[in-house]
Amino acid sequence: MTDTSWQRLDALDHKIVSKLALDARISNRAIAAELGVTEGTIRTRIKRLQNEGLIQFTVVTDFRMAGSPNLCMLGIDADPSRVTEVAARLKMMPEINCVVLLLGRFNLLAMGLFTNIEQLNELVVEQIRSMPGIQRVETSISVHNLKYEAGVAKITRIAAID
Amino acid sequence: MQIRSGRSLTPSSLDALDNSIIDILRTNGRTTNQDIAKQLSITAATVSARLQKMEDARAMRVVAVTDFAALGYNVIIAVGVKVQARSVQAVGHDLAKFPEVLSVNIMNGRHDIELLVALHDFSEVQQFLYDHIGSIAGVAQIDAGIAVDIAKYEFNVAPL
Repeated sequence: MTDTSWQRLDALDHKIVSKLALDARISNRAIAAELGVTEGTIRTRIKRLQNEGLIQFTVVTDFRMAGSPNLCMLGIDADPSRVTEVAARLKMMPEINCVVLLLGRFNLLAMGLFTNIEQLNELVVEQIRSMPGIQRVETSISVHNLKYEAGVAKITRIAAID
Repeated sequence: MQIRSGRSLTPSSLDALDNSIIDILRTNGRTTNQDIAKQLSITAATVSARLQKMEDARAMRVVAVTDFAALGYNVIIAVGVKVQARSVQAVGHDLAKFPEVLSVNIMNGRHDIELLVALHDFSEVQQFLYDHIGSIAGVAQIDAGIAVDIAKYEFNVAPL
């Protein structure tokens, strides 16, 4: 979290990122024309931002397409010596979309999208509580989402860009 | 990162071609219509029409995802909020107005609301939590957890 990559973005990078945030599929040519630089410059800049894991282009499908799942948050406490290991194991679970190591309320916060309670219960009881070092798993279910910024995230996987 | 927004509208179901286009864009959202067309042996006009149709139905959206660090967000906090003497929904709407608040979920659990907050610097934490969030009417208690690492953050499904 003490990444200094922010400083690696200059004024032009920031302008390009703002254009892409509004329309991820805007052509390099259109960005170039608007910013008064060459198309090649835009292409090079975007490629660098992608390679450094600062920006990523992907598809987000609507909740309805996934059967309107509920976001479930799991607050987890574990033996201090096991926290990193537990995080690594949670990360491997396809049902878990997000794993954050925390200071404060819990040692770990994990989130997943579930369409039924049985599936959530199975994951918590069979797979998480049984991990070595787990002290407590507190489940909380989102009943309504009021805000979600799809355009900001932690990019943890860098796609190979040719 | 949602749930049910009370929208009754059902999306027109996607066919195999729509899903093939989505698969290509998932890998690289900036693949041109021409390249997608070539890979699927269809015309660029068909790709364009399919994308337009899916976006109009709010079934999918191609997004540029920017890393927290690229935006200068170096401090990420998960905040649980307990509400008293005011509707949870109203408090949630007020909290959603802060640009630093990336997500707001109304919860069934120990807390009434869960927030994900992104700040530039540790020095902003006190003011944001106690002055900004704390000043919203109905906020009775806040429990904050400061992220020391984000091991995974992959939501490819969201409320659109």
